[in-house]
Amino acid sequence: MFWRKLRYLLPWVRRAEDREIQDELRALQDIAGPRELGNLTLAAEDARATFGWAWLDHLKQDVAYAARSMRRNKAFTALVVTSLALGIGANTAIFTFVESVLLRPLPVRDPAQLVVMKWEAQNYTLATNGMSWSTGGSTRDNGITRASVFPFRALKAFQDSTDIVAAAFGYFTVERLTFRSDEVTDSVKGHYVTGNYFQGMAIAPAAGRLIQPADDLAAPEAVVVLSHAFGQRHFGDAGGAVGRVVQINSKPFTVIGVTPPAFFGAEPGAVPDLYLPMRAQMIVEPGSRTDQTYVDDHFYWVEIMARLRPGIDITRAQTVLGARFRSYVDATATTDEQKKDLPALSLQPGARGLDGLQRQYARPIYVLVIMVGLILLIACANIANLLLGRAAARQREIAVRLSIGAGRWRIIRQLLTESVLLSLVGGALGVAIAWWGVRVLTSLLAGSREHFTLHARLDWTVLGVTAAISVLTGVIFGLVPAVQATRLRMLPALKVVPAGAPSAGSGRLRLGSALIVAQVALSLCLLVAAALFGRTLSKLNGIEVGFDRHNVLLFTVRPRTAGYTGPAVNTLYETLRERVAALPGAERVSLSSRAFPMGGGTMARVTIEGAAATPAGQPQSAVIASVGPYFFETMHMPLAAGRGFTPQDTGTAPRTVVVNRLLARRFGFENPVGRTLAVRQDRYEIVGLVDDALAFQLVEERRPMMYFSYLQAPTPASLMTYEVRVTRNPLALVGPVRDLMRQIDPGLAMHEVKTQAAHIDEAIRREITLAKLGSAFALLALVIACVGLYGTVTSNVARRTNEIGIRMALGAPARRIIRLVLTEALVATAAGLGVGLVLSVVVARYARTLLYGIEPTDPVAIALAVAALVASGLVAVLIPARMATRVDPLAAVRQDN
Amino acid sequence: MQPLHGLLDMLVLRTLVMGPLHGYGVAKAIKTASTDALDIEFGSLYPALKRLELKGWISAKWEDTDTGRRAKCYRLTPAGKKKLMQEHAEWHAFASAVARIMGSPAKERP
Repeated sequence: MFWRKLRYLLPWVRRAEDREIQDELRALQDIAGPRELGNLTLAAEDARATFGWAWLDHLKQDVAYAARSMRRNKAFTALVVTSLALGIGANTAIFTFVESVLLRPLPVRDPAQLVVMKWEAQNYTLATNGMSWSTGGSTRDNGITRASVFPFRALKAFQDSTDIVAAAFGYFTVERLTFRSDEVTDSVKGHYVTGNYFQGMAIAPAAGRLIQPADDLAAPEAVVVLSHAFGQRHFGDAGGAVGRVVQINSKPFTVIGVTPPAFFGAEPGAVPDLYLPMRAQMIVEPGSRTDQTYVDDHFYWVEIMARLRPGIDITRAQTVLGARFRSYVDATATTDEQKKDLPALSLQPGARGLDGLQRQYARPIYVLVIMVGLILLIACANIANLLLGRAAARQREIAVRLSIGAGRWRIIRQLLTESVLLSLVGGALGVAIAWWGVRVLTSLLAGSREHFTLHARLDWTVLGVTAAISVLTGVIFGLVPAVQATRLRMLPALKVVPAGAPSAGSGRLRLGSALIVAQVALSLCLLVAAALFGRTLSKLNGIEVGFDRHNVLLFTVRPRTAGYTGPAVNTLYETLRERVAALPGAERVSLSSRAFPMGGGTMARVTIEGAAATPAGQPQSAVIASVGPYFFETMHMPLAAGRGFTPQDTGTAPRTVVVNRLLARRFGFENPVGRTLAVRQDRYEIVGLVDDALAFQLVEERRPMMYFSYLQAPTPASLMTYEVRVTRNPLALVGPVRDLMRQIDPGLAMHEVKTQAAHIDEAIRREITLAKLGSAFALLALVIACVGLYGTVTSNVARRTNEIGIRMALGAPARRIIRLVLTEALVATAAGLGVGLVLSVVVARYARTLLYGIEPTDPVAIALAVAALVASGLVAVLIPARMATRVDPLAAVRQDN
Repeated sequence: MQPLHGLLDMLVLRTLVMGPLHGYGVAKAIKTASTDALDIEFGSLYPALKRLELKGWISAKWEDTDTGRRAKCYRLTPAGKKKLMQEHAEWHAFASAVARIMGSPAKERP
């Protein structure tokens, strides 16, 4: 019997059987009397159902019917599909990001055993005299400093705790190394890693071998491990690079191996191109300062991770290692004040790597997740509303079909098919939008950062989530109108009632209004969020940076890559500065070790001789900035006293420094010009005083700063960034500068060409991204909600055309007609506004840390949001309402549905 | 014991014991045999025929009828005969069980 049934799965077998049944019934019709046999169509239908595949036929019919009706109602289809596609697409894109940034573990063995070391202290300056901000960074929050960098010797304290850790390993990121092989030069990002780094990560090489403890001894090996991606990019075949000798900052290194393709280092957003033994720093950057960093217990720079022994949990590790770290720092503290505020170790789960990117993007991403979630909700509400309107319009059709014997379930199923089909089409389009969205998001988040390689790609989990959302949406929201439509009382719907009699529609009306309320409320939330982010952005743009950011061109030069060494480096810098200044269009030219804000850098402990004791008796640290002649003039930074640097502030001249007001004030001076400043054992004459300007970040408290002449640095800088002040359009000067550099030396390249304004924007990329995406999402929500409002009023007008006609015939003014058709939509909108206001005040608190300069309840932002919603809502409802007043009374009265 | 389930199937099988019949013939035969007490709608009977055919209890063949028209006639298969006997036994057990309860006309208690 099963096999016989299965046979009917074949369409032609089914068709043949169908013909057989038709023949048989026709023959019987001839034999029996008329009407003796009853409804033969139904009999044949039921007979076919016994084959067991009727549902397949029905599905086919339903799908065909749904496709037909989708084609017939193009506007409806387009509205539903686009709102769904946008909702689903945005969701998939954002979920892809959540997955890749927040959820995906490091591709190493047993990632759950990894921990990341961090510390917290009230005031870092007490224990540390300098800190490198290159990767781990530090944050100050409510007066507490948190950081993930340690003195090199702290690592040993962890490594000795063999009862707790299987391996404790460290690394340090260096952003710009010059990598040369076969006359091809690349600027690369490297990790200096301790010898046990790869053992701790527990990964196997893709080719060759990885760095081992024997490579990282006091006399380190000149070996390098390439990342798979970099090896492929540079050599075509990563494995083929093994054994080759390459130049790193002009020093020969041997490629010993390649990391596996999936390995991206310890930070998901920052993939290094190559790995060097930790102590190979002494080869790359020889000098006493480098040597010093390994033994200085006050210099915090190494990032540390550890693999815990099996069976040791993080709480126990925290207790034991915390105590050992405490005794280590306790020994490094030299004063009682320092002992009072020692950094306290804090272990974090390391399965997902260091959370640089996560910390930076986790909250914005959650905010975006919530925003797109709301959009999907709004889209769903809209679809439900559209389907409701549709069901109302089809009441008669459904009533007719019910009355001639169609099964209720059959009709529900058919309506369901339509909505599932709609959501599948929407979902497919949504995946396309997501694919595109992931690219856009990646480029938005990456900006112009060279090394940003976030591994975000659509994967099956994300697609599964999307598919589930899309089908569920169709089922849930297809079901409501379907059930409602078939619950209607048949008779009143069949009778040609004047539309407007609230026969079966009242339930639909209530649901429709509720959906409008929800849409308006959610849209308002999104609008408030967008307004808050927009206001934050404008506040950020209004920050006093301390110099004139407009009309400045930035570019970076790395003389070493062209083979310059020794004094020739500074000669080149100066030649270039003078020659660029001579270009037409260039007003002033200077240079600095980095563009401002520097993104990171070094702070050093400093004193000014002759100062009374500093207020709290605390040691003071200041940011070190290395700048060229006429820097302050070029940047339009007003000198409050003294002078700026000139080409005469060279290594042979007396050492000079320019300090900012904050540094001077920390030592109780209004004008410290002429006094002597001491950093470690070096002494400098203070020749100038400048107003405070930003140092590391755009958004941070002003820091004490000291500017040194780069010409007086002990060793020439490997790279300098030029600032060119122009009369207008900085980028117009790029061509002339490039030509000039080619003239001076064809081996020189212009790196990181951008305007100063664009550089500052990079610092607030996160906020720009949020403001842009937030506004885009809010706009999307607004449009969808307005479509909903428009649809409600339109169907309201359509339903009551007859009534309107009569009223107009009786002399009702247009005003009254408008009020008649608008009341429902306006009441719902007002209710939605109220709900939305409450909701957005509640929700906005969670975005507080993403805001700058405003409160989550910023009245301006809320007013803007409400105004935008009211204005566009009015347009959406007034268009169809105006149409109502143009109803021709005669035609309307005559209209019989 | 669920004899009511498939009651129609049982009636059809029982009717076809007499000899092959076409679909309408079966309906008429049941009506006649029950002296008009059971008037099975053709719309219900026909799917039942198809069901029984699918189960292999009856088979169908185009044949000429007494009146000279062609029609599809159904006859019992050996499997159908066995099934009928089983149904018969079950029905008797059920009917006598019901009869024991319903045997005398019930009088409502005051």
